[in-house]
Amino acid sequence: MHSAFDPASPQAHLIASLWWWMLGVGGTIWIIVIATMFYVSFTKHRHREPDDPQHVSEATHRRMERAVIAAGLVTVLVLTVFLGFDYSVGHALAQHPQRALTINVTGHQWWWEAEYEDPDPSKRITTANEIHVPVGQPVQFKLRAADVIHSFWVPNLNGKRDLIPGYVSSQWFRADTAGVYRGQCAEFCGLQHAKMALYIVAEPPAKFAAWMAAAAQSPPPPADSARLYGQRVFLSSGCAVCHTIGGTQAQAFVGPPLTHLKSRATIAAGTLTNTRANLMGWITNPQAIKPGVRMPAYPLTPLQLEALVDYLETLK
Amino acid sequence: MKRLRPAGNVAELPSVVFGSRSLMWWATLGFMVIEGWTLALLVTAYLYLRQNFEAWPPLRTPYPSLLIPTINLVIMLLSFFPAFMAAKRAKQLDTAGVKRWLVVLSLFALAILVIRWWELWAINTRWDTNAYGSAAWTIVGFHTSLLALDVADTLGLTLLFFVREMPARSFSDTSDNSFYWYFTVGIWIPVYLIVYVGPRIF
Amino acid sequence: MQNHHEPVVPAGTALSDEDVAREAAALEEVWHGRSGFWGWLTSVDHKSIGKRYIVTAFAMFLAGGILAAMMRTQLMRPENTLLGPDRYNQIFTTHGTTMMFLFAVPIMTAMGTYFVPLMVGARSIAFPRANAFGYWTYFVGVVFLYVSLIANTGPDTGWFAYVPLSGPQYAPGHRVDVWAQVVTFTEIAALVAAVNIIVTTFKMRSPGMSLNRLPLFVWAQLVVSFMIVFAMPAVATGSTLMLAEDRAVNTHWFNPAEGGDALLWQHVFWFFGHPEVYIIFLPALGFITPIVETFARRKVFGYTALVMSNITTAFFAFGLWVHHMFATPIPELGQSLFTAASMLIAIPTGIQIFCWLATLWAGRPEFRVPLLFVLGFIFTFVNGGITGVMLASVAFDKQAHDTFFVVAHLHYVLIGGGVMPLFGAFYFWFPKITGRMLDETLGKVNFWLFLIGVNVAFFPMHVLGLEGMPRRVYTYLSSTGWGPLNLVSTIGAYVIALSVVVFLVNVIKSWIGGEAAGHNPWNSSGLEWATSSPPPPYNFVHVPVTTSRHPLWDTDVHLPVMTGLRSDRREVLITTTFDARPDHRHEDPEPSIWPLYLALCMGLTFIGSIFSPYLVLVGLGASLPGLLAWAWQSLNSHRGPDRVAAPDVLAETT
Repeated sequence: MHSAFDPASPQAHLIASLWWWMLGVGGTIWIIVIATMFYVSFTKHRHREPDDPQHVSEATHRRMERAVIAAGLVTVLVLTVFLGFDYSVGHALAQHPQRALTINVTGHQWWWEAEYEDPDPSKRITTANEIHVPVGQPVQFKLRAADVIHSFWVPNLNGKRDLIPGYVSSQWFRADTAGVYRGQCAEFCGLQHAKMALYIVAEPPAKFAAWMAAAAQSPPPPADSARLYGQRVFLSSGCAVCHTIGGTQAQAFVGPPLTHLKSRATIAAGTLTNTRANLMGWITNPQAIKPGVRMPAYPLTPLQLEALVDYLETLK
Repeated sequence: MKRLRPAGNVAELPSVVFGSRSLMWWATLGFMVIEGWTLALLVTAYLYLRQNFEAWPPLRTPYPSLLIPTINLVIMLLSFFPAFMAAKRAKQLDTAGVKRWLVVLSLFALAILVIRWWELWAINTRWDTNAYGSAAWTIVGFHTSLLALDVADTLGLTLLFFVREMPARSFSDTSDNSFYWYFTVGIWIPVYLIVYVGPRIF
Repeated sequence: MQNHHEPVVPAGTALSDEDVAREAAALEEVWHGRSGFWGWLTSVDHKSIGKRYIVTAFAMFLAGGILAAMMRTQLMRPENTLLGPDRYNQIFTTHGTTMMFLFAVPIMTAMGTYFVPLMVGARSIAFPRANAFGYWTYFVGVVFLYVSLIANTGPDTGWFAYVPLSGPQYAPGHRVDVWAQVVTFTEIAALVAAVNIIVTTFKMRSPGMSLNRLPLFVWAQLVVSFMIVFAMPAVATGSTLMLAEDRAVNTHWFNPAEGGDALLWQHVFWFFGHPEVYIIFLPALGFITPIVETFARRKVFGYTALVMSNITTAFFAFGLWVHHMFATPIPELGQSLFTAASMLIAIPTGIQIFCWLATLWAGRPEFRVPLLFVLGFIFTFVNGGITGVMLASVAFDKQAHDTFFVVAHLHYVLIGGGVMPLFGAFYFWFPKITGRMLDETLGKVNFWLFLIGVNVAFFPMHVLGLEGMPRRVYTYLSSTGWGPLNLVSTIGAYVIALSVVVFLVNVIKSWIGGEAAGHNPWNSSGLEWATSSPPPPYNFVHVPVTTSRHPLWDTDVHLPVMTGLRSDRREVLITTTFDARPDHRHEDPEPSIWPLYLALCMGLTFIGSIFSPYLVLVGLGASLPGLLAWAWQSLNSHRGPDRVAAPDVLAETT
């Protein structure tokens, strides 16, 4: 479940335990206050003074004083404990790993660009919306915004961090369980803020290394004429103005890179599953699925569309 | 309802008072606090933006010039005198004296406002060059709006004194007008130091 | 400790009924406004202005509520198609902007505008024409926002309009400019009201009403007015100056490419934004003491603690704003200070609640509708306060920030802490404003539907937020599993709507033919209950003298008054600041059209600024004759003779 209640990292675990503790204490306090409210409103007790608003005996007044002061002190105590617990969790969370895989994430309206850092330029991978990470190893994210403020949030793995134009912020986590973790942009960023999801795919280190190796390769040139035609449609219809496909002349980053499009489980930033039908529907009319998205609808003939999608399906 | 029982009579109390006894003084004070605080926030924002730059003013942005702003500052400081005298004559209920000093104050005020145009351009960069220019122009521009309001106020009061019979309350208003003038000039002093002199120092 | 009987007022004979009636007739002649529509436009009576302010602000509550119902309907199912993203974005922005700027703050200042003069025993508010000007300026903002929404140019970047999304590059067109100017109008109106309330409270109190005898309602309004003075300039600086400039004349306040800073907007906005919610909350706390005292039949426990709590809360409120920015890259050490402050602010509010519980304990509570709403406040607000303490934790906030958890929290505190006491206040003071009682049975139905509706609507949102649902989403995929709780929440929203309909029915029915109220139907203790319901235009035939915190409970059949104010002109009594000794007599202005005229000029100036600098010049130019006419009018209507105090007599200034 895409949820802060379901932690899969030590960071998210710390926050979740803090939450349950605060819920327990906070809930108890609420119950005590409401119970007191019912008690003072409804019990018949001998301290009810007669109707004269001026007549409150010294004894009653002193009892009220003691009760209010005691309640005030308890409040201070509880808050101090809350504060202490919060600081210790905050301190634990602030520890940064010495060495970590570093991924540069840039938020765009309305997709996530992820570039894996590496001293060897040929090993640098740029992908979109689906970010693979190794299980059991710390991953650090350097977060930037290409246009407006976005927020990187994968609740199973850690709290969120804002991506702010002009700043580089950072976030990290260590996924301890393999799985697919969904995240969603958490800062209102315009028309398609609601459909700007991302997936963290945590894999055992060997599988991760294999993925990295495959991702670093450019796809082979199209094997048959149909797919070659599809590639030509891609390059000549305007797609290349915004999208990158490794190994071709298409090298733009306005929209997500499509080099390994078919290796991803979803398209349109987590909006649709990556099936042939969805891909065709998306290309034909992106505005119907994500109104306001930057991608215009392309007038392709059915033949062109089939060929294009055939080609795109080879980009594993 | 309860029966009303007189516990005192206020008929002999004054009906025109000066200074902090008067409601208009409090309104003026309220306005000063609000506008002064706004200016303080703008200056804070200006200083906050400093951290985004290595040099201040930014590279290739000239220093603000000091000549015209300093001249205007001197004129502003001198204008305290007619403002003070107008208030003094007002407290003496001296119509002729008030008229005289309001005219002098009005002339000072107009001169300051006119020179303010060149003072804005003395920032030596436009508001749309960079964030430094934006902040400097906004601070000086905002103060200019306070100045313009004060000038209009003073001119209006002067006009009324010349054009009609003024009741005793107007003397209290004249004294409050000078109070506002002290504020408009007084608050300019730190602004001048920060915007025009400051970049040469920090 | 409780008894403040000071034998200062000498025994004497009460005024005869004929004397009082004669004085009242003379005052009525002098103080009544002009009749008809023109009379309504030119009124400077704080009660008339206050009533229309309350009605307009409540209409905004209804409008904001309708927008909320639309949002909840859209969100009740995954992938719903009732509203597309563009319309949804305008609707959620207008909902927030309406509720925060056009409903919540204005209704609190409106209650102050109507009641503070009555509660301090004054004939009018300090600056009657400015008061009218403030209302009309606010009204211009109301019209401007809704005309824009209907014309499809409603603002669409959220009620706090973060840059760069709201900047010139990503928000082309005029939608955000509409937002910026609505903020300008409401901020001017709030500042005018604040100065009015501060000066009325300091200078126009009933003789003998020293500051330690000020009613808690008035204390709350006074403290909040100071907060408005220091908070509103920040939002004005941000939106009227910085954002409007970036959009209109290409400044670079928020443009990182030229040294500007996107976080600067957040600092400036939240420096206002956090105090803003306390500006809404503290006046509501001010409603509670008189209601609890009246229905527990007991003087409130801990007057001094309640006053100090208000003041402490107000100060603390200015030191919390960074807790809205915990997910941004600002230094962690700074964040910790704000965590501490954000948690500790719970203490003064907690103390206030404990004092009220103690008062109820010592009293004999009578569960009339206003008291029910106070209990509803405790039930709901304490929940919101606790989630607030949770959100103060940076670590937890990093999960909950910008999710429906925050939406839940903010509605629990604003509705629980603001709207519940407000409904209680409506039931309590409606008789004073209209002379009629609201129906008690309908009131109970209203209360229970509201309490249930609010909890059903907003409780599920805590869970939704932690299950990953961010704020401000026009839809969500069904695979997220958020559907069922969203449906529950929407049902709760409809229950709230039903409760508001019951309230409206109650108001209309009672205004037309409700039970007559009399001057003090609840047998309450404040000075506003010493005059008729509704009060006459001059409020009190003679200015009451105060000898305790509970004037109507601590006096016998006689109310001491000051005589001697003129009844041939509008005259009010000004008193000294701390001890409220009579100081001088002040002539109040007559009805005037110039406040409305100037508000329209302001409207032209600021709305014009969106389109052209020439319109700004026209607007400002048109204001000048208005200002002159304003001054000329009071010079003309002046009725002497005057008695001038020697200016260098300083002894009596405080």
